[in-house]
Amino acid sequence: MQSRLSPLAALTRAGRRRPRRGARPHVIYLAIGFPPAAKSSAYRMRETANQFAAAGWDVTVITIADESWEREYGLDHTLSEGVDPRIVIERLPLARTDLETDIRAFSEARSLHPQRWIEQQRRQELRIFPEPVFGGWRPELERAVLRVHQEHAADLLMTTCAPYVNLAATWRLWQEYRVPYVVDFRDGWSVDVIGGGAAFTKDSAAGRWEEKVLAEARAVWCVNEPIADFYRERYPALRDRVRVVRNGYDEDCVPATPHRPDPEAGLTFGYLGSINFAPALLDSVLTAWRMARREDPLLARSRFEVRGHIGAGALREANAHMELLRAAAGDGVEFGGPLAKAEVAAAYGRWDALVLMLVGGRFVTSGKVYEYAASGLPVVSAHEVDHDAATVLAGHPLWTGAVGLDPRRLADSFTAAARLAVEATDEQRAAAQAHARRFARGAQLAPAVAEATAMVTGAATGPGSDGTSSEGGQA
Amino acid sequence: MTKVLIVAGERPQQKSVLVEALRRFRAQGASVGIVGDVDADALALEPGLAEVRTLAAEPADPRLRRALARITQPSRALWVRAWADPWTRRWVRTADVLVALDSTAVHAVWEMAQRQPRADACNGIGAAGRIVRARHEGTHRVARRASERLSARAGIVVRGARRAAVTGARESLEAAMAPAVLRSRVGGRLWRSAVAAPGLPERVRVALAYRVHLRSVQADAPRLAAATTAAATGRIGGRKSRADLLTREASAELDLGRVPVCLTEAVTAELALADEFLPRQQARAAKSLYKAMRLLFHRVPHFDQLSSPLAERPAEFLAPLRASATARAMATPRGRATPAAAPPADRPLRLLIMTNGNAHFLREIKERYAEAPGVELRYLHLADDPVAAPLTHNPAGIVEHLVAGRSEYGNRVEEWLRPHLDWADTLFVDWCVAAAGMTTLVDPGDTRVVMRLHSFEAFSFWPHLIDFSRVDDLVFVSDHLRDLTCEVVPALTGEQAPRLHVIPNAMDLRRYDRPKEPSARFTLGLIGTSAVAKDPRWAIEVLRRLRADDERYRLVLVGGGLDPKASESVRQYQAELTADLAELEPSGAVTRIGHTDDVPGVLSGIGVILSSSVRESFHCALVEGAASGAVPVARDWPFFAGREASARTLFPADWVVGTPAEAAERIRAATATEDVWRAEGAAAAGHATKTWDWSVVRHDFDELFLPGRQA
Repeated sequence: MQSRLSPLAALTRAGRRRPRRGARPHVIYLAIGFPPAAKSSAYRMRETANQFAAAGWDVTVITIADESWEREYGLDHTLSEGVDPRIVIERLPLARTDLETDIRAFSEARSLHPQRWIEQQRRQELRIFPEPVFGGWRPELERAVLRVHQEHAADLLMTTCAPYVNLAATWRLWQEYRVPYVVDFRDGWSVDVIGGGAAFTKDSAAGRWEEKVLAEARAVWCVNEPIADFYRERYPALRDRVRVVRNGYDEDCVPATPHRPDPEAGLTFGYLGSINFAPALLDSVLTAWRMARREDPLLARSRFEVRGHIGAGALREANAHMELLRAAAGDGVEFGGPLAKAEVAAAYGRWDALVLMLVGGRFVTSGKVYEYAASGLPVVSAHEVDHDAATVLAGHPLWTGAVGLDPRRLADSFTAAARLAVEATDEQRAAAQAHARRFARGAQLAPAVAEATAMVTGAATGPGSDGTSSEGGQA
Repeated sequence: MTKVLIVAGERPQQKSVLVEALRRFRAQGASVGIVGDVDADALALEPGLAEVRTLAAEPADPRLRRALARITQPSRALWVRAWADPWTRRWVRTADVLVALDSTAVHAVWEMAQRQPRADACNGIGAAGRIVRARHEGTHRVARRASERLSARAGIVVRGARRAAVTGARESLEAAMAPAVLRSRVGGRLWRSAVAAPGLPERVRVALAYRVHLRSVQADAPRLAAATTAAATGRIGGRKSRADLLTREASAELDLGRVPVCLTEAVTAELALADEFLPRQQARAAKSLYKAMRLLFHRVPHFDQLSSPLAERPAEFLAPLRASATARAMATPRGRATPAAAPPADRPLRLLIMTNGNAHFLREIKERYAEAPGVELRYLHLADDPVAAPLTHNPAGIVEHLVAGRSEYGNRVEEWLRPHLDWADTLFVDWCVAAAGMTTLVDPGDTRVVMRLHSFEAFSFWPHLIDFSRVDDLVFVSDHLRDLTCEVVPALTGEQAPRLHVIPNAMDLRRYDRPKEPSARFTLGLIGTSAVAKDPRWAIEVLRRLRADDERYRLVLVGGGLDPKASESVRQYQAELTADLAELEPSGAVTRIGHTDDVPGVLSGIGVILSSSVRESFHCALVEGAASGAVPVARDWPFFAGREASARTLFPADWVVGTPAEAAERIRAATATEDVWRAEGAAAAGHATKTWDWSVVRHDFDELFLPGRQA
């Protein structure tokens, strides 16, 4: 796992100056999932890059080719509209082979045993880097960061995970050129955010990688306190470098005018987000929805609109979740596919209440909870009671509370949300939005970017130091 | 027009998604054919959506059948079956888009794509949708060169030659596993060393070990089978590979009607896999647990043999289950939010009787409470309920719900059962099988839940799928069944255990009181012969002993026979029984009467009623025979013999015998003269009626359902 170069060679290289372009510091941002990838992490990546650019940095983003996302959740070009045009984007010819759907590209062995072939791939990937699916990307990523640095010397490498294979490229640049780095760890790696506790031990291959790379990081960002605490406990030496950078919401996703329901016509409940939780969770919500409709005439004439990405590869919009949604069409449930970022505010504007479906527990916050909170709409929570989303929603005046995933109790939440949707005053809606204001994405990221900037340049180059706003970049 | 050929290797899992896609295809001007293992009737597509071609599971062509017999990969077999079908060939020749609906179908589409270079070939209906749309909108691009077509054709030839070579090698390997080779010391040592050879790729080791194990079992060399498996598993690092090998071996042996050589090892390996999955993938853990339970409680070891390891050594047999964290998670008592309410004082008790089993034992109970003014009765047989019936066929769903705490299956049960629970004050579930398991997935509110366990359930996985902390009262029909079940299911003795009762079966015995002809004195009767556990060959042995001295004795077997298709071990028992009957039937020593509804009439011609079973909970037929005045002779059912409670404690001591010789002795004595025989019969009839007639037993049920009140 070490550099193939000797330590001496590394030191020699570390001392060598790479070409600089002007006075602006340069950050390489390893951000696989950067716009136009239609991924929820793209919002955070866009804002991070924009803030660095606004703070006076030259920014080079390294991600994968646009067409590679077609195998996953596809592209949302409206996301790219908000990217600062000064940002340079390097797209690597990497793609997930496991999500290939063109059978002509399969070998005979793969066609005979598709699952076994994927398992073999996984084993090979793990030999390259201890991360299934992405481990095989390591050589290409390492070459890419070295090439970009050689062409335009970097003062900072900002790496965001997942995928965690980014850590290998980060480490390579550190080993060879001592380029300082910050890890935006988001949901962490060794923490099992779904089950709680550790996902792997310190002495495992992944554990050794994580410990080694984090030890030299200038800062480690996490999306919530429970994850940050996990890392502070796991690596006490990192205690002062771990900080929470919540996901937050983008202000352009919040509807501009207060909502007016039409109870006579029925309400519209909405869900927006990737549908990547277990089918049983979706089924519990749909069961609760049916039970509530049986009992409440208002809900009986209401609709439930589900928007987002479902499945990838051969299972894209053809998996168990999709079957549940299609089968629930007779109960007023409608799946409308993913929404472009530019259409998000309009969707919140026409919905009367929201359904927050989330996996995990106290280690998971998600990104959508912030948007939901800021929408000013009633929120039905469909997640574990002990969940970090509940921390964000605590005190929200239009939240029906976390009741777990029992369909009977969720049915009561639907009824309560319907009542709130009809009875909430403008003041209550405004109070709900005010409750969420502290979670604006820009405000969440700004101190962290400023801190990273100060750490590297020694200057207090805060946001807007070059006179431009990070909100929406220059688009 | 775009022509789309969809290949399905299994029943479509997402039917609504498929139908939606087909509608879109039709709207975009595409015509669609679906071929494979699909049932056109079950798919029930609206007209014009697609042509459905179901491939025959057993093709008529003998050459094709032989070819298929040599193919071990389901995906390859699907391709061979599809390509032998003229309809499919026609469709392939003109198809623009070839679609694999599931992973089994990928290979067939891959092969079709080699033969139809013009077509797109894609995995999944979603990908097909994007291609069809692009073709419809005119934005689709195909860039395949002529050289690719050539190499595809060359590839077909090369692969054919390679496959022939592999088949030849495999046949040579099979020859080296001939029974004589495996029984020889040298052969055994050779194969044991071969499967444990260092450096062998895991996939090859697993495949080889499986073949050697199975061939050894077939060659009656179980020790070699066990040694081979132990040697191979010692070299297999992955828990999944180890569990897969052992489970596959055990399943194959069960198919041969044998108790697997490595049953405990297979169960332990599968449970270890479950425990590995448990922290993060509970549904996957549940799947492995269910697999292990299907092995552990398979019918071959417990129902289709004359003994059961569960009855002989329950603690040892269930030890792997007890040690498993996943099994413990499944058995975690969830309790109920509110205790059961007392029966209402101001209106009749709403009693819901529910079963998905044999309703025979409910007749008297239903009749009594249908007419009782203090009770409002509802009866539900789940087979008659269109929503509940399919739910009863999914024990894996119950396991998943118990392990994971939630499931789609549990949601369906909640939706269906809740209105019934809202109505009922008391729910009585007869038989501890699916209906009982489903019931305890749901918190019953304040409804009192009563269940009854008869017999076979104790040897099945069902009681392990019931959360007894949600059951208020559990009824057994005999003490020995209660004792064994409590030994097997720890939840019945814990803090949250239900109250346990023993109430005999509800039987109207007075209708059996009919005069007997003198000739009945030498006629032995065995009623019910449809299970190996009834062991009719024991009765035949008794008959042989009697006829050795007196040829007037004969045996009447009443009821349907065994089903040899149930398992190989049933077939073997049936073959031995058939040989006995071929010997004894021509002389009239044995007569078979099929199923009859007139049991009292048949009993009037029977003077001695037998219970030859290896296990019974109560054996109603014996008691009914006794009530008719026949002399009862009950085998000391071996599953329970020697326990604190057994046939010997259930019946008067003189009814019960240990061996066929003792049985013959008792029969000779009891039929020595007509007077003796009639006196013995009358005494037995008196005891049966006084002890077990419904006029006596019904008070126990009244006390159970309406404690301290009149029905």
